[in-house]
Amino acid sequence: MNGHPTRPEDFDLYALGVLEGEEKAAIESHVPTCAECAKKLAEARGRIALLAFTAPRVEPSAAVRERLMRQIHSSAEIAGAKHAQREPERAAGFFGRWWAAVLVPACILLLFVAARLRTENERLGRELAQERATMQQQQKQLDEARHAQALLESKDTVSVALAQQPGMPKGDVRVMYNSKMGMAMCDGWVEPAPANKSYQLWMVPMEGKPVSAGVLDGGPINPWMVHLPQGMAAKAFAVTLEPTGGMPQPTGPMVLVGPIT
Amino acid sequence: MSGQTGTELRASDAALIQKIVQRDESALAALYDRYASLLSSLLNRILRDTQAAEEILQDVFYQLWLNAAQFDPARGSLPGWLAVIARNRAISRLRRHNPSDGEELLETTVIVPVNLENAITQQQLLGRVKGALDNLSTEQRAAIELAYFEGLTHTEIASRTGDPLGTVKTRIRTAVESLKRTLLS
Repeated sequence: MNGHPTRPEDFDLYALGVLEGEEKAAIESHVPTCAECAKKLAEARGRIALLAFTAPRVEPSAAVRERLMRQIHSSAEIAGAKHAQREPERAAGFFGRWWAAVLVPACILLLFVAARLRTENERLGRELAQERATMQQQQKQLDEARHAQALLESKDTVSVALAQQPGMPKGDVRVMYNSKMGMAMCDGWVEPAPANKSYQLWMVPMEGKPVSAGVLDGGPINPWMVHLPQGMAAKAFAVTLEPTGGMPQPTGPMVLVGPIT
Repeated sequence: MSGQTGTELRASDAALIQKIVQRDESALAALYDRYASLLSSLLNRILRDTQAAEEILQDVFYQLWLNAAQFDPARGSLPGWLAVIARNRAISRLRRHNPSDGEELLETTVIVPVNLENAITQQQLLGRVKGALDNLSTEQRAAIELAYFEGLTHTEIASRTGDPLGTVKTRIRTAVESLKRTLLS
């Protein structure tokens, strides 16, 4: 068979990878010959690819980015070296070939030494990248600790206790807020969020729309620094219940509220 | 809410791809920063092995560096394409086989109907996709996840769940129809 697939979902099923045998072969033999079906398959792939967004968030370590950049930098250098090597080859005549008999063994030796050095260089590079990643992480923790100390010591910092709203999940959250510094620190606890929901902390300004201060999954909250717009006068902090991952603006019910007095 | 349109997204990704073709390392770094988190999450979900996930993550972006000239942003979505390639490599590693040339050939174009460039749009999309999955029955959702995250075929899912093959096929087909309706609505 080499006609159009009979059912439109066949493209999605192929993209999902569940088709086998003749059903799979029919798509693979037809699509390269049919622009219309190739477009339908591309659209199906796009729909199925959206399932990737449901995977739990896992950030890659900083070392991956370091290794990648080092890898592409090395490949660019090798490409440049090959280009430079081709120029003398074009100019080589009788004398070039005579000298080649002498130079080839020397080059082989040099290549061997270079390969050893490159391996060693790569190993050192990996270790350096790991060290850099660790240092960046430690620096970040140190900065956060300094911010927290400055926040707690400032006379402009206010403490806001967020109270549970009637009929809402239980929780006890406290926010230390400094509008001049544009920083807040949040701690306490809130009972686990219902399925497919997240708690979201908001700073409610005197004027304008609420500003998201982060998403909470429920349970104990480790003391947590939040960076907010500097100089914005706030009248309250609130926690709402939102779809998993949070929303740009509050849409769900208020679970905890704390006015700034 | 983002004011960017799909056209602006393609132009932005297209500009970075063009710079990569010209060997601009910072352009690759920018695309990595934009999409590495999405791919890392997907790879870890499939492989459940951080080291293997990071190897494939690095390799996918290295292949983008090597083959950027072959990617035409006007014909499809870069994040969609990266997600398809990353998933294929992870499933291949899981099942210890290499994808056939035919599969690679058919997977060059991926059209995603929404702007994936910024985090807010991604969050909203996450809500829609999760909502679409929530509308499925438990059995349908499990079958879709076995297919997408473990790379199982109809027969393998039937074998894994102990359900008749016909039941599994119907279950997945109706689930896919439902997902398609919800995501296009």
